[in-house]
Amino acid sequence: MNRVLTLAAYNVRILLSERTWFVLAWALFGLQIAVYGSLMSKLVSTTVPNYLFFYGVGLMVITVFDSGADVGRHFVEHAHEGELPYFLSLPVSRGGFLAAQAIYGVTNTMIKVLPPLIGVLWFVGDLTIQGAVFALISMFLLGLGITGIMVSMSFIAFKSVDIYSAFLAGLSALIVRFSTVFYPLIFMPSFYSPISVFSPLTYGADLTRWVLGFDPNFLINPIFAAAVVTGVAVGTLSLSARIVDKVIEGVKAA
Amino acid sequence: MSHSESDSTFLTLTRINGRSPNLFAVETINLSKKYGKTDALRGLNFTVNEGEIMVILGPNGSGKTTLLMILCTILKPTSGTARVVGIDVVEEGTKVREVMGIAFQEARGFWRHKPSSILKFHASMFDIDPAKRQDLIERTMKDLELWESRDKMFMHLSGGQAKRLETAKVLIQQPKLAIFDEPTSQVDLRGKRKIWDKIRELRDQGSTIIVATNEVREAEYLADRVTILHQGQRVVCDTIPKLKDAIAGGDIVEVDFEDPVSGRLVEDLNGLGGDVSLSSEGNQLRAKVSRAEDWVPKMTSASYIAGAKIASIRITEPSLDDVFLHFTGKGLLDQP
Repeated sequence: MNRVLTLAAYNVRILLSERTWFVLAWALFGLQIAVYGSLMSKLVSTTVPNYLFFYGVGLMVITVFDSGADVGRHFVEHAHEGELPYFLSLPVSRGGFLAAQAIYGVTNTMIKVLPPLIGVLWFVGDLTIQGAVFALISMFLLGLGITGIMVSMSFIAFKSVDIYSAFLAGLSALIVRFSTVFYPLIFMPSFYSPISVFSPLTYGADLTRWVLGFDPNFLINPIFAAAVVTGVAVGTLSLSARIVDKVIEGVKAA
Repeated sequence: MSHSESDSTFLTLTRINGRSPNLFAVETINLSKKYGKTDALRGLNFTVNEGEIMVILGPNGSGKTTLLMILCTILKPTSGTARVVGIDVVEEGTKVREVMGIAFQEARGFWRHKPSSILKFHASMFDIDPAKRQDLIERTMKDLELWESRDKMFMHLSGGQAKRLETAKVLIQQPKLAIFDEPTSQVDLRGKRKIWDKIRELRDQGSTIIVATNEVREAEYLADRVTILHQGQRVVCDTIPKLKDAIAGGDIVEVDFEDPVSGRLVEDLNGLGGDVSLSSEGNQLRAKVSRAEDWVPKMTSASYIAGAKIASIRITEPSLDDVFLHFTGKGLLDQP
């Protein structure tokens, strides 16, 4: 366990050395909310109460998705920069290695999401410690699930960062756009809504909104959403642990 | 884990697993690895005794690095078995990684880290006593002439410095099994000697060592035994003197004539008897003979009779390159 934490701390130190990216992520979030969010909110305010809040949570969930994608990219970069064989030669189990990656991913996500979360809650006048903590737990679970998906996918794309990026762009288009991050399920046309139930972001976004007190009439059943988010986290992490253990090979050599 | 602790670990592990104590530090049985349709290793049987330096000699593409990557659990074999101090590399990879250290062929990664922090991280991953860690790192960096570069970013190190840093990782770790993959490529001659001496020192402290190389001089300096690997298979394994003795004849005689060597002269020399292997090119004749002191007088007489004037004669021992050529039919620097 100590070695897993040492390995995770190494990754987190690298992460913290890239502070500029966090500032840019927060700035982008603020800009998106201030311009696009507020305009959209005025446009749809007749049908969805407090759409800015709805949108703000959706944007945070997208940030969680992007951070999870970062973990996969980080993994692929390890392979291409030659670090992966070294990490694989260290005396930690493959599961421990994956856990270190997950800790890195969750830390990355929490740093990117926490300030926007506090900002949004403060802005809508609903900032409570209880709300913030439950929202973080919800997004933490979602983040683990996304990390599991991305780490599993990263092995498919091991031969090329470009392939991985292209694959991710396609996946992102599907998972994000066909989810409820920007619009409630009940407003979706019947030909879209069946697709959105396959996106884990749908459940993560609606669960987070529910714990923050958003009108449940616009959301998926929270117990079902919590079950799906937890199931995705456990399932994808187990899958990626199995892939790491059985499939992963750090380098081809002659 | 240092070798001082791992002797008992080795016995403990084998007892736990119900196996009798293994005589070999490393053992592979019928080990194969395929990349798609390419066979990198083909049924390799290979052993390394405890406390020896085993040099794996082979040209690029012979399977050296693949073998090392399997031993350190980074690659999985397609079939066959590999054990490190009695532990199966597939079944108990984490335990294998606890008793071994590897200096990779290509020292890459850690671009924005300093050598000192890279070594600290490595030491902490292998549970090096924190009280001794700093001293050990400082001493090793000074020994390998890295101390002056301790605060440079990895990406600003020269190729030779990066290779020395790879070696330093294994030296501070003092593992039961230390693996060095071409440890001195890109390193200048002075640096090579330093690394070689440190590798021998590590062996003297009790580590078993595997060095993969295609440099004959490195092999001759380091090896207790040499395994020649060719096209993924073990060709031969023995001590260097025995390998050299195994070549037809023990000496190499190179004769420069004033004129091109004629076919008739070669025939005459072949007729002198004894165990001799001749080759000629232009004015030069090369002979592998069992005893140069017996053959050279006969050769000079035969050449005189044939009217061939000798310009110079050199007598040398065969090199490992000659050994490799003898057993594989190819030179070490030839393409696979």
